[in-house]
Amino acid sequence: MGEVQKGLFSVIEKLKGTTEQELRIVLLGLDNAGKTTLLKQLASEDVNTITPTQGFNIKSVTCHGMKLNVWDIGGQRKIRPFWKKYLENTDLLIYVIDSADKKRFEETGLELSELIDEENLKGVPVLIFANKQDLATASPASEIAEGLNLHTYRDREWQIQACSAVSGEGVQDGMNWISNNIVNKKK
Amino acid sequence: MADDSEWVLESIAGYLGSPEWMIPVTDFMENKCSVFDDEDENKLTYTEIHQQYKELVEKLLENYMQEVGINEQQFLEACSSPFAKSKTLQTVFQPVLATDDFQIFRSLMVQKNMELQLQALRVIKERNGALPECLTDGADMMSELEQQEMRILQEVLKRSKEEYDEEVARRLQFEEEIGCTSSGSSADKNGFDSEASASAQSTSSIDNMSSKKTEKQDQLRSAENGEPSSAKTNTVSSDKRSLGKDSGERKTLPAVTAPVKGSEPPATLKEKSGRQTVESYLAEAQREAGISRPFNELSATEQEQLQERARYLRQQRDKLQALKKEQRPKQPPAEEPTAAPAPAPTPTTQEISVEEKKKLQKRKHLAEKLKEEVIKK
Ligand SMILES: Nc1nc2c(ncn2[C@@H]2O[C@H](COP(=O)(O)OP(=O)(O)O)[C@@H](O)[C@H]2O)c(=O)[nH]1
Ligand SMILES: [Mg+2]
Repeated sequence: MGEVQKGLFSVIEKLKGTTEQELRIVLLGLDNAGKTTLLKQLASEDVNTITPTQGFNIKSVTCHGMKLNVWDIGGQRKIRPFWKKYLENTDLLIYVIDSADKKRFEETGLELSELIDEENLKGVPVLIFANKQDLATASPASEIAEGLNLHTYRDREWQIQACSAVSGEGVQDGMNWISNNIVNKKK
Repeated sequence: MADDSEWVLESIAGYLGSPEWMIPVTDFMENKCSVFDDEDENKLTYTEIHQQYKELVEKLLENYMQEVGINEQQFLEACSSPFAKSKTLQTVFQPVLATDDFQIFRSLMVQKNMELQLQALRVIKERNGALPECLTDGADMMSELEQQEMRILQEVLKRSKEEYDEEVARRLQFEEEIGCTSSGSSADKNGFDSEASASAQSTSSIDNMSSKKTEKQDQLRSAENGEPSSAKTNTVSSDKRSLGKDSGERKTLPAVTAPVKGSEPPATLKEKSGRQTVESYLAEAQREAGISRPFNELSATEQEQLQERARYLRQQRDKLQALKKEQRPKQPPAEEPTAAPAPAPTPTTQEISVEEKKKLQKRKHLAEKLKEEVIKK
């Protein structure tokens, strides 16, 4: 079915006839990392009524004239096996880490390295948000980068950005990186 | 090549309006739409169903294009022609666009789900001369309890449909074995299996399930029973006004007297028979629905009534479905539900119980939409 699938895909591109370019972004990370909060922050929505995600959320935001379709998939252990169903045609991975949850640094590192090895994410740039920097117990982004061995990633562009999804601090910097490194290149 | 564009598009648009397309696609949607609600958050199963839909549409289009001799290049060019951008064509092509656009797909499915619910409600209205009050009264009547009721109603309808579908599948398979057709189309298989087999597994419990639901429903009603209400007269007499030709076989209507309001037996009548099983069903049902009220005030008669009611609802749904099928020129090849390798969408089933408060709000929204629709008609 591969042939047809490709055919249909291009047909749809034509049919839609939009000139606007779109980016598909998946937002992953352990449960409670702040993915949904970040998503809502990006969409300028209220971040105070968020409940744990059992399925997934999608929001479209405009960034420097490009439409970003952001997919926030639940991060609980039992639904992580579903992540890989959402990776096809992904232009960018955003990985969110709770910087104050030191107990789970190892777990989150493992999940990230598994993602990096996914065929569908081959060469796909990754932006890591070291979230919850507003908490006193948060580790600095540099420390997390070290722990994750980010410097060994040579097959793709990556960036780690300290932020607070709740206050919004640092979020825009991350988006700027996206626009400078992904959006502009894709255009 | 530009000359081709117009006829190619017209041909395909024509196909998208033909039974060869409509039947399998509509069947797919009707079979799969019941899990699609209009909550913000998407369920993981949506993705699986979307994938199946993609496969179905691709198969259908591929077959058609082969049949009439349109190659991919021609189709591509036609799609980029200005003609393809007309509003009408864009609408016609919506189901095709939905293969690649989850959001479109989702809204089509939510819409289909609402349609089915409305149809069922309309039939009930026609038969009973009245709708559950939650659908006719003022907005302030749309209490949380009534929303629960709506949900239960939907659940009953859904289950009865699943059961029906299974029966149809079995029957068709039987016919097939007798030698009508040779092969089931694989596209259809892809489309339908998982849910069909899921429902197959639960057949035996459907009666229990639906009665459980309705018990809950009744319980809800009795909860609001305190306030006086003009109990609608929905008696068996409505049979006369019903769809006519097959009204003879419907005799078990009394149980359906839907809004039990006002006709509630006095509390003293309540007894405890059959409590154990009921309680265990209910415990589950309550968890599902997030109701915290204890369930121990249902009489045996009420339970019976409710079971009747569930049966009736199921009949309604069946009739509807049967009517629709009758109107169709021919059946698509049968799906064999039990043979499915069904990648059971289990992870989601438990995850459905998100945050009840949020859920109720959404439900209210849906119920309001439904109500609007019904009143409009
Ligand atoms: N202090 C603080 N809490 C946050 C931040 N981002 C998210 N949270 C909280 O972390 C919890 C989990 O957030 P959520 O977005 O649901 O995480 P998800 O499971 O990754 O989607 C919620 O209680 C959020 O309010 C942040 O930047 N700072
Ligand atoms: Mg979440």
